[in-house]
Amino acid sequence: MTENDLLEPQSEANRRGRLLTPPPSFIWALGSVLAAVLVYVLHDLVLILLLAATLAYLINPIIKLAESALIKREVAVGMTYVGIALSFFALTYFLFPLLRGELDALSSNAPSFNDRFDEAIDAVQNEIVARYPGANRWFATREVRYEKLNVFLDQQIMNIPALSSRLASMVLAGVLIPLFAYFFLRDSRKMIQFVLDHLAAKHIETSVAVWCEINRIVGGYLHGLAIDSVLVGALAGLGLWILGVNYPLLLGVLTALLNVVPYLGPILGALATTIVAIIQFKSLAPLVKVLAFYFALKLVNFVVIQPKIVGGEQNLHPVLFIASVIAGGHIMGVIGMVIAVPIVTILQESVRLLLERRRYFAQRAASSPAAGIQIQPYVC
Amino acid sequence: MAKWRWPKQIIDDKQVQRLRFLGSVPLFAGLSQKQLGKLLVKLFEKEYSVGETVFLQGDPGKALFIVLSGKILIMRSRNAAEEQVAALDRGSYFGELALIDDQPRSASARAGEPSVLLILYKSDFDDLIEGHRAIAIKVMANLLKALAGYVRVAQSRGGLRNVALTDD
Repeated sequence: MTENDLLEPQSEANRRGRLLTPPPSFIWALGSVLAAVLVYVLHDLVLILLLAATLAYLINPIIKLAESALIKREVAVGMTYVGIALSFFALTYFLFPLLRGELDALSSNAPSFNDRFDEAIDAVQNEIVARYPGANRWFATREVRYEKLNVFLDQQIMNIPALSSRLASMVLAGVLIPLFAYFFLRDSRKMIQFVLDHLAAKHIETSVAVWCEINRIVGGYLHGLAIDSVLVGALAGLGLWILGVNYPLLLGVLTALLNVVPYLGPILGALATTIVAIIQFKSLAPLVKVLAFYFALKLVNFVVIQPKIVGGEQNLHPVLFIASVIAGGHIMGVIGMVIAVPIVTILQESVRLLLERRRYFAQRAASSPAAGIQIQPYVC
Repeated sequence: MAKWRWPKQIIDDKQVQRLRFLGSVPLFAGLSQKQLGKLLVKLFEKEYSVGETVFLQGDPGKALFIVLSGKILIMRSRNAAEEQVAALDRGSYFGELALIDDQPRSASARAGEPSVLLILYKSDFDDLIEGHRAIAIKVMANLLKALAGYVRVAQSRGGLRNVALTDD
């Protein structure tokens, strides 16, 4: 009996064992599919958790600052929540009378809103047709507009039961999001420590690298987006006030809130302002000024503010950026559009770092050991 | 005017001890309490049991390690044999070259006894020194002192002379 004959049965057993054990890629794929199914089934809860995590990310720099001053984390989180609540009440106290004035004016005009809107659209249409008679064929008559409006309102009325149940979920989410964010903030160090304690030592450095990179990119993106929205809202409010548009404060706040939705948000903000401007001015020239202002604001935001503040931290290819926004919107609506970019960034960055590590080891295994000159006694 | 201090009840004693410990690490010598506090929140902690590998020679280096407790053995492979080049205990640090370049680890690190290490990721360190010039200057000066020490040791062994000759 040769040595090969003795080894043969063992090799056969090993081969069978290898056939029975699924490859790691299969386990990863299975795990990913299961996670996707779980996310789909627990759709609402996942959304609330993601929003809570986003809120926690936004507050976290304050907690870190307090921690660096050696304050206990739970005390820092509690103090920050109290501070935010007090600031919110103070802001409401000082800002709300101004906003309420604008809201009252808006609601008192509401009954005549349709008539005024129709009058304004007719006035603008007539002005355009007077200058460019050929443009007449592009404009619908009042009757056609009413018909379209009725169809739209019918659709909305059919959605009312769904909307009311949605409203209840939104109220619940309004309570749960800050609550979950509180626990995320208070216990995040313990959670990270738990993961580190259970990770194999050989994976620690890469895991810490992945976590830190995600933290850096997502934190930078979310903080940048928040600051960017405040700046854009303030500029919009100021610009509209200078242009003499009604409700500049309200429209500024609306522009700031909508700015967090990529692509769609600025368009919706401009649309709301355009409606107000049409009703107010009933003329083309001021309307063009308002649209030009919003276009200039978007341009300044895109060229100057965003690169400086958001800083292109997400590193997403434009196509992937748009695709993730569309997919996020399809899966989770407007909120999905907002959180799609950081989620895809997390996935991209994790895969990049893991592949980088894998490629590194593959290259090292393929090449012969480099004959580098080691001069350090133990530096590593 | 008296310096403002937070009430004792809200101060984290564990973090205070860590801060004192960090102040005793040669790499962070000369940093103020405030600067050390900024560094403190960027550290991760990991326990290693005896014989567990921290990293291997040739691994990509992405972090600095500080020995909080226990003993870490630094080993280097030469001609298929492994030799111990250093044993590091509380307050020592290793992997510092990862903060400077992206070169592979030039030695392996293994726990010689149950140990706890603090980990500082390179990008976190970069962010810290980019925003705080004073921290950058002090840490880099300390790092240079350490590197100068290594070069002297290498010179005394004749290693550096050989490098100069082979480079020419």
